[in-house]
Amino acid sequence: MTTLIEPETTSAPPIHERNAWEWIKHNLFPNWWSGLVTIVLLPILLYMAYRALRFFFVTGQWEAVEVNLALFMQGTFPRDEQWRLIAQILTFALAFGIGAGTASASARDRAEDASLAHERGSLTDTLKRMWSMIAFIVLLLVFATTHDPGSPISPFLVVFGAVLAGYVGYQARRLPRRLRNLGWLLTLVLLVVGFQVVSGFDSGGWLPLGIILGSAAYSVVPVERFESRWLRLLVRLAAAAVVVLVIRAVYGAIDSTGIGWDEWSGLHLTLLVSAIAIVLAFPLGLLLALARRSTLPALRYMSTVYIEVIRGVPLITLLFMGQFIIGFMVPAGTELSDVTRAIVAMTAFAAAYIAEIVRGGLQALPSGQTEAGQALGLAPPTIMRRIVLPQALRAVIPAMVGQFISLFKDSSLLFIIGIVEFLGVRRIIHAQEAFRGVGIAETLVFVALGYWAFAFAMSRESQRLERRLRVSR
Amino acid sequence: MTTTRERDLARPPLWRDVRVLRVLGQVGAVLVVFLIFRWLVGNLLTNLSRLGISTSFDFLFGPTNFQIPYASEFNPRAEVWQATLVGVKNTFLAGFFGIILASVVGLIVGVSRLSENWLVSRIATVYVEFFRNIPPLVVIIFFGAAVFTNGPFPLLRESWELNWFGTDNAFLLINNDRWGVPGFAGTGELGLFWLIVGIGVVVGAVVWRWRTKAFDATGQPHHRVLWFLGVVVAFFVVGYLATGQPFEMSWPALSENRRRIDGGFEVNWGFMSVTIALGLYTASHIGEILRGSILAVHTGQSEAANALALTAFQRYRFVVLPQAMRIALPPTINQYLNLVKNTSLGTAVGFADLTAFTKTSIGNGRPAFQSILIMMAIYLSFSLVISLILNILNRRLQLVTR
Repeated sequence: MTTLIEPETTSAPPIHERNAWEWIKHNLFPNWWSGLVTIVLLPILLYMAYRALRFFFVTGQWEAVEVNLALFMQGTFPRDEQWRLIAQILTFALAFGIGAGTASASARDRAEDASLAHERGSLTDTLKRMWSMIAFIVLLLVFATTHDPGSPISPFLVVFGAVLAGYVGYQARRLPRRLRNLGWLLTLVLLVVGFQVVSGFDSGGWLPLGIILGSAAYSVVPVERFESRWLRLLVRLAAAAVVVLVIRAVYGAIDSTGIGWDEWSGLHLTLLVSAIAIVLAFPLGLLLALARRSTLPALRYMSTVYIEVIRGVPLITLLFMGQFIIGFMVPAGTELSDVTRAIVAMTAFAAAYIAEIVRGGLQALPSGQTEAGQALGLAPPTIMRRIVLPQALRAVIPAMVGQFISLFKDSSLLFIIGIVEFLGVRRIIHAQEAFRGVGIAETLVFVALGYWAFAFAMSRESQRLERRLRVSR
Repeated sequence: MTTTRERDLARPPLWRDVRVLRVLGQVGAVLVVFLIFRWLVGNLLTNLSRLGISTSFDFLFGPTNFQIPYASEFNPRAEVWQATLVGVKNTFLAGFFGIILASVVGLIVGVSRLSENWLVSRIATVYVEFFRNIPPLVVIIFFGAAVFTNGPFPLLRESWELNWFGTDNAFLLINNDRWGVPGFAGTGELGLFWLIVGIGVVVGAVVWRWRTKAFDATGQPHHRVLWFLGVVVAFFVVGYLATGQPFEMSWPALSENRRRIDGGFEVNWGFMSVTIALGLYTASHIGEILRGSILAVHTGQSEAANALALTAFQRYRFVVLPQAMRIALPPTINQYLNLVKNTSLGTAVGFADLTAFTKTSIGNGRPAFQSILIMMAIYLSFSLVISLILNILNRRLQLVTR
């Protein structure tokens, strides 16, 4: 009675390759009522697909979009300063390339440290994640060529240049490991430079680079040979100050004004205004979250009131506040442009939401982490800075991307207060003689596709980050 | 000796004493916030008084002096606070119907995404991924500009009339401006009638409790929903007959000059755009929440239900859904809150909600600061009431753990 199973005879269950017929039976007609639903839905779906395709290829009056493509992209941006936009696209592409390359390389480093196999995401995976954006760019190129066959080359050149810059930047992953922080630094610097290519390197614009490079100098200056703690701090501060002063001097020497954000419009404004708002809102939101988690009741109450009030009202009321009130809240004589006031309102709005996200990250961190820090005798600020925040902020990155998507979508509200962003361009277009009441649905569909392409790609990215963070836990 | 050491430990120098630092930190923070606030408000008050703009709320009791769109019963001579209430009513109505639409569509979408039918789940996925990733304002403007005003619908004076089967009464008037649907017109003792129905609801609640107690005591099926509805309907019918038929159906019809809709209930294009657009937009979020919540119920629960030989319906109704609801409720109510806040976007399609009213009011020379403060306070109270309800529900639904 030996019924022992021989090792050779065991094998994985056979993988049953379904043929098309079985697939249809299993997925479309699993039981009678589900089959009925399929039978009812299929013709409706086919008809709708037919109507949609007809709209896209036959009946749609896409001239309204084609003729005004540049207006959608850059709005009323001065046309003879267009090189700034192209330079910005290329710089940002380079920055994103370097950032992606460095991120990929540091993931590899971490895997090496943990002696785990590291699998680099393939190019096809990235393209699959980004397919909506790629499709949108292709759509733009198609529109660009159908309308103006005379000079179809420049949009292609820009896209090609951006891809090339991104590829070159991505080679940062080949940098030796000790230069990893240089990669991050370069990304930040290029983002600032790319921003200022358009807004201009005027003498007042030294602050962002000053902060970035100054704090870089603060942390890299070699101070090991100094015994005294105070001396070390002094040397660090001196190095930072020297760097900041040099940057100030450089900016003072260049001092070339560009095109400020008051003159931006179209998709360019939409993308940048949400990015600016989220960047400005982050420090504020972080402070609010820390205050709300603080053991000091006064801080906690003030932060709670701010967060709950802001989250309890619609963004549009804050934008009205910006439009009608903020101008009065600064000393008489200070002129704030429409876009500036909108950015102030959006920043105040986003800060409350970011605060709640960061608070979620802080709360999710096991209290053992803090306790371990206390057991090591670290001071509370050090525990916060060295133990709690790095983990908490890493954990909330996907939610932050989600908040950015939401702010990106909400930036369409600037249309209501009369700022010409991506959606607001439509107002200009349909005021033109040729397109009064023509192509209304078409321009709307185009705008919706534009928003969708960016938001969808970003949400895919945030899902991937979420999965990766969960795995690396 | 030890006592002195303990005292030394207990009293560190002042600048390292946590208690002192805590107090100082709070005082400092309050002071900083106060100074910033004072600077802002001080600037505001100086600037306003320099420009001679009023900072009082007296304007609320002055005449409105402009007509609110699609509110023909509103008299422009009425005071501003009454006009504000019309805006609040419109915001509330759009939020209410939007929430109903979003819940129904969201439920369908959420369940469809889990369907084993490939076609159904695919359609639901496309729906969710599309609507979640475009701004609600674009959806609203699409319905307002592309569907209603520039869409396939005729002008008001050429409205399509859909007649109730075999009668001359139109139950739907369709055009690009305002649709007419049947409504009710009061003819007599409406107040008394509603009082009777109200009593019916109270009695129904009592019966509900009685059935619940009977169920707890005996384990007999309670059928409390049926009981409740039965009681209310009975009171409704009795009240209707007793007060001598206090209302009758009112059918919508174009007026003589074909510029108005008489009778029935009219819904304007702004309201429809906001409600439908926000309903569809929010449904994509609610669908995802419901799907996630159903998936979050432990599979062991379904397996246990199967082991008890419950039918698929019973498994969903008594095992899975009650637990999924507990998970889904807080985020769903958050979405409702977002929907109510998003009705403010109706301004873009001429929907006369609170925001649009405030905007027009400021445009008509009403002081901006006070108007916006009032608007924010109203939205804030909406939000606070909804989150209060959420907290109460949450407390009742929480698992009782030992």
